[in-house]
Amino acid sequence: MAEQMIQLRGVTKRFGDLEVLRGIDLEVGEGEVVCVLGPSGSGKSTLLRCINMLEPPNEGEIFLKGHNICEGPGSGEGEEGWDIDYVRQRVGMVFQQFNLFPHKSAIENVSLAQRTVLKRGEGEARTKAAALLNRVGLADKLDEYPDRLSGGQQQRVAIARALAMDPQVILFDEVTSALDPELIKEVLDVMRELAKEGMTMIVVTHEMGFARDVGDRVIFMDGGVVVEEGPPKDVLDAPKEERTRRFLGLVLEH
Amino acid sequence: MDVILEQYFDFSIWTENFDAIMEGFWLTVQLSIIGGVLSLTWGLVLALLRQLPGRALAPVRGLTIAYIDAFRGIPMLLVLLLVSGSLGAFAAEGVLPQDIGIPRWLGRSDPFWYGIIAITITYGAYMAEVYRAGIEAVPSGQMEAARSLGMSHGQAMRQVIVPQAVRKVIPPLLNDFIALMKDTSLVSVIGLTELVQVGRDIQSETFNSSALTLGALLFLLITIPLARFIDYLINRQQERTSRTGGGGVAEPAPAGAAGTGQTGGPV
Repeated sequence: MAEQMIQLRGVTKRFGDLEVLRGIDLEVGEGEVVCVLGPSGSGKSTLLRCINMLEPPNEGEIFLKGHNICEGPGSGEGEEGWDIDYVRQRVGMVFQQFNLFPHKSAIENVSLAQRTVLKRGEGEARTKAAALLNRVGLADKLDEYPDRLSGGQQQRVAIARALAMDPQVILFDEVTSALDPELIKEVLDVMRELAKEGMTMIVVTHEMGFARDVGDRVIFMDGGVVVEEGPPKDVLDAPKEERTRRFLGLVLEH
Repeated sequence: MDVILEQYFDFSIWTENFDAIMEGFWLTVQLSIIGGVLSLTWGLVLALLRQLPGRALAPVRGLTIAYIDAFRGIPMLLVLLLVSGSLGAFAAEGVLPQDIGIPRWLGRSDPFWYGIIAITITYGAYMAEVYRAGIEAVPSGQMEAARSLGMSHGQAMRQVIVPQAVRKVIPPLLNDFIALMKDTSLVSVIGLTELVQVGRDIQSETFNSSALTLGALLFLLITIPLARFIDYLINRQQERTSRTGGGGVAEPAPAGAAGTGQTGGPV
């Protein structure tokens, strides 16, 4: 892979006595799609939330394009010590529950942060938002409010919202888990297009087909550590570790 | 029976004192609206101060909580007496500027503004708690989504959290407004002749309570429609949440609608 986009060294996260991440090392190259698999409670979501500082790690270092984001202004314990703005303006995130702003229409959802954070003018932000909603197949839903959209449509608006900030990386946190089965494909198709266009993506997912087809690399996590990683074929078809085998057996059984 | 009717509903008392009663009513309305708007604003400021993030701002949060606890626990009458009895003295001593110690803004008397100040101090504390409930009822994913887009805490509050929170708490805020309106009658103790005081004056002159009855009816003229309006808002909110409660699926899009034919669209 080309230049390293994200590097994690010894990232540890504790909630009280519970150690959710136990020293994660991870490198993601530019344009790479990394799929993260693992049972619930394995720390997958926390890993994503550490990378964009929704949950700043307790220990370890995170580099974004070589820039150490743990050495922010004030460098101390807790939120003050981390270069949050630097990270969040470069790392997009899409959530399991969409988290669209219910009091804003689709196009307003996609333009809001462009205007408040990137200080784009209203016309520019709306033009960009309309183009992105068109790209995710929602050109006819610009002025709909989230409660008038299906789950799949809401999630596609959420992806457009993340793209509007011109992120260098997008984190996907089980983005199809809350969707009815018939709506999953439309969201995965959008993600597939993004991957094809060279977006760097870290995807926490239970969609084995997506991991196999789209993932450049698969990571299997359990108990707050990376148990196994490698090309999708190797990890999914010929797992070396017993824990990976057991998990895949349970997931693929049905 | 006639004695009772005459005691409460002597229309000649109403007609003879109509102007005075209406003047008192107008004062009550002014106190309610100005005090209400200022309380709503001050309450929101307090609620936002209470929600400030980070360790550095803990003292601000602590002071705000102390303020809210204190003024929700003190009778408004006492606050009113403290304000009206001390601000003027401070102005006389030169501790406060004359304009603030003895406020006579917009051509109103200083007791009027002491009343407004006491109402705002007290009801601001109540309303801060209502706003807080609304802010805490907004799902945490909303703040996370806003922050993950790079918005600051303040931007997220202003653009995302507060608009949703305020919508949720309009009914309880209006409830507090009804209580506030009734409590404006307390300003009579510092010499303002609002609706209740007008009734009292007439009662002590005539030994007849009809003016007070009319006062009661005038209060109800405002508070009952407001109560009905609150019920209407609550019903509408409940309909909305039951409609969108089940995952909010309105019209499922055809599968695979995305990503086909839109490749390479302008970004």
